[in-house]
Amino acid sequence: MIMGKRQLLIHGSELFLFGLLAAIPGFINNPYALGLLTLLAIYGILLIGLDVTVGYLGQVNLAQVAFLGLGAYTAGLSVTLLGMGMLPALLLSLVVGLVCGGVLAFPSLRLEGPQFALGTLSFSALTTTILNEWESLTSGAQGLSIVRPPLFGMHLKAQGFYWLCLGLLALIWFFMKNLLSGRWGRAFEALRDSPIATDAMGVGCFRYKVAAFAFGSSLGSLAGGLYAFNFLYLQPQSFTYDLMVILLLGVVLGGRKSLWGAVIGAMIIVLLPNLLSNRFLFHLFAAVGLTLAVVAAVRGRLHKTTPWFQALAPVIAMGLLLIGGFMIGNTEDWRKAIFALMLFSVVVGLPEGVMGFVGRFFSRLLRMAPRTIPISAPLEVVLPQLSPGNQPILTIDALQRHFGGVKAVDGISLSIRSGQIHGLIGPNGSGKSTVVNVISGLYPPTQGKIYKNGTILPSGSLYRVALNGIARTFQNLQLFGELSALANVMVALRGMYRTPFFLILLGLARSEEQKAASHAMALLELVGLAGKSATPAKDLTYGDQRFLEIARALARRPELLILDEPAAGLSRPDIRQLMQIIRKIHQLGVTIILIEHHMDVVTALCDHVTVLDGGKIIAEGTPQAIKRDPKVMEAYLGEMPAVRQEQAEEGAC
Amino acid sequence: MNRTMILQMIVSGALMGQVYALIAYGFQLTYATSKSINFGQGELVMLSAFFSLTLINWGIAYPLVVVGGLLFGAVLGLFVERAGVRLALEQKSEGWILLTIILGLFGFSTAENIWGRDDRPFPTPISSDPIHIFGIGITPLEVSVILGVFAVMGLIEGFKRYTLLGKAFAALAADRDAAGLMGISATRTIMLSYALSGFVSAMAGILIAPITTVGPTMASTLILKAFSVAVVAGLDSGFGVVITGLVLGAIESLTSFFLGSGWREAPGLLLLILALAVRPTGLFGKTTIRKV
Repeated sequence: MIMGKRQLLIHGSELFLFGLLAAIPGFINNPYALGLLTLLAIYGILLIGLDVTVGYLGQVNLAQVAFLGLGAYTAGLSVTLLGMGMLPALLLSLVVGLVCGGVLAFPSLRLEGPQFALGTLSFSALTTTILNEWESLTSGAQGLSIVRPPLFGMHLKAQGFYWLCLGLLALIWFFMKNLLSGRWGRAFEALRDSPIATDAMGVGCFRYKVAAFAFGSSLGSLAGGLYAFNFLYLQPQSFTYDLMVILLLGVVLGGRKSLWGAVIGAMIIVLLPNLLSNRFLFHLFAAVGLTLAVVAAVRGRLHKTTPWFQALAPVIAMGLLLIGGFMIGNTEDWRKAIFALMLFSVVVGLPEGVMGFVGRFFSRLLRMAPRTIPISAPLEVVLPQLSPGNQPILTIDALQRHFGGVKAVDGISLSIRSGQIHGLIGPNGSGKSTVVNVISGLYPPTQGKIYKNGTILPSGSLYRVALNGIARTFQNLQLFGELSALANVMVALRGMYRTPFFLILLGLARSEEQKAASHAMALLELVGLAGKSATPAKDLTYGDQRFLEIARALARRPELLILDEPAAGLSRPDIRQLMQIIRKIHQLGVTIILIEHHMDVVTALCDHVTVLDGGKIIAEGTPQAIKRDPKVMEAYLGEMPAVRQEQAEEGAC
Repeated sequence: MNRTMILQMIVSGALMGQVYALIAYGFQLTYATSKSINFGQGELVMLSAFFSLTLINWGIAYPLVVVGGLLFGAVLGLFVERAGVRLALEQKSEGWILLTIILGLFGFSTAENIWGRDDRPFPTPISSDPIHIFGIGITPLEVSVILGVFAVMGLIEGFKRYTLLGKAFAALAADRDAAGLMGISATRTIMLSYALSGFVSAMAGILIAPITTVGPTMASTLILKAFSVAVVAGLDSGFGVVITGLVLGAIESLTSFFLGSGWREAPGLLLLILALAVRPTGLFGKTTIRKV
């Protein structure tokens, strides 16, 4: 394989980083510096773990400090009570984090935003309480002293222990890089941007949310094990809310979704206390911070890219830091306020963190070519021709769905034949969307059954319906906004990913990744988005976003594709393109349910049309027959003029 | 084991629980308008209490101290909204969680350095000699807590139900876009909700300070329990917090007695995690239908 400039630079700088870190003790013989380096490696591991939930899952996770504590006490106790060696003790720490993280993920599974933060906050507080109060085991507030256990019979001195920590950091870097750059990383990000679509694309929120949280937590508790063997003394008070805020500072300041960011964040955390104890360094730091904030504010305002608040708030915070620095007596006393000001400036002014900024800067500076665009696979390989059997593929039997007193769907029976484009039309509120939401599993039916190819379709689970060869698009777009167009499609590819987890960790999934990218490219080509494969979905035009939804649904290689108002809000030329896309999909033998308001689209495309009104079917047949049906005209245009005349006269009386 | 003693503990605990309920009510106010809550609310409670203590030390009369403290809380609430919440809401991100945590940290550190790290008594004209009813002692101070909590909640609830400005809260909670189209300014209503929420937490601080003393950490466990009440009851449960506060306060008081005071926080935390697992909308909350 030929390595591009980009690859060379990335691999080169990684090798340089670890080479440098490993070599430092060779030429600086200073126990204090060695202590800082060890701590850097430990926090590096912890922050890589924290970044999985904060960066990839996009949740404010306040539990990582608890996992650090749990891991530390697990390692400490397994040495003092069970006499374990270093490696088994560390392994046990990792497993405890993995299990506890997995268990905690269950209640947090349905939670987003504030609830997730509250759940993890409670877990942290609860852990501190238990560590404090279970005195017979942890000796409570008195603290637990540990003797560093041997590693394979060797007694590690400070330098040896540092190399162990650094080696583990390098190993975890390698594993997580492989994991997060592939389908797992994509699934985590998909989950962050749209849980509903993650389920509907057959990826499954459940598995990935639990996995992400468990992985992240296990790294936290592994770091805890190392923490225990580094300090050799543990106290529950070390693992409280204050440290958690500092850890978050590390991730946010370093840069989310970046291994480099995690290590830079760790470096900042480790160096902060030194920064605070040296007055000159502190003033220098505040001055540099203020200068950066002012430059960014002036640039942002000149280009009018940043709102006033975003430009000014970091300047004020950094100014406060600089002026305050000269006024206060002891910086150590104001430690928390200083962290707060720094964190505030970064969160507001530099949301992508140091690495996000540096990364953009370097790729512009070195004129790095964008990632090479994968070559697309032939379409017939990606979407093999399905035989149009003209058999009923989906049968709906007396389906009802009520919301409280509203009968959104009130007894619908319907049969959809394979290979057809089946239109579903009706005025607003007639129950079309509810019907497809019940078919696709978003809502369970109140009553009635749905059969696919004669067997009953699972109900009330988007994920299990998706596994049954049914794919859908969403009327209100549910794209994975931050992922590229290509990645959006790659997330959904069915039957593509077979490499077992451990081989992925070792980086042995590359050929599979390339194949997936080429298949995804073919689908992007089909909908006319091949030239925009690297664009984040949120930056695409509205029309392109609709097409991307279709490409993504096709990645499921569905037998039945549900298009929920695909033409809504599209311009004329886009609608023409949409019709061509639908025709192509139809030619491939995919059965389509088309919900649409544009009658011309329905007339031109559909083989068969069902008309709903008030949750009931009012007409069925070919588009031509439907157009002439008086009931349909009444539903759309109101009652016949003659009738209206009478009513008007009655009203006049 | 004496039955009166247990009853005594249940009653005292339940009374304390009303303070949690009051802070939880403050969360509901901002959650209704903006689906956001201030993670640094505990620091608002603490800062307002410290501010009121300073006013007392200046020799200002108690009723004026209360007014001053409440206004101070409202101003802090406005500051949190401007500095920590508005930008994130405009970007439709959840950055406000982190930002309100950060502002809380800043407030904490400031209080530590201005007023010191020690706990200080909060003098009040209200007596703390218990009155015995059926053998259970209740202090006028505890009664003042209950009265204060209900007065503030009643006042704000009245404002929400009977004034046009207050009805905007419900409108925003129901549908932010539609409210905007009807001429309700979302920004101003959210500001108002944060001011009220700060007002409410100042009230909580002033009410509880004579009982717990005033110090930088006075609210750090209080806030966890308020979170717990808010989540267990539901973030849109209205007066559900009162009942939940009564129950949680009583449970906590009993736990502290039977297992030791170190376990005091445990039931609240456990209940919060359980509630999130079993019923994320809370006992008194409304379930919503997912729409796509």
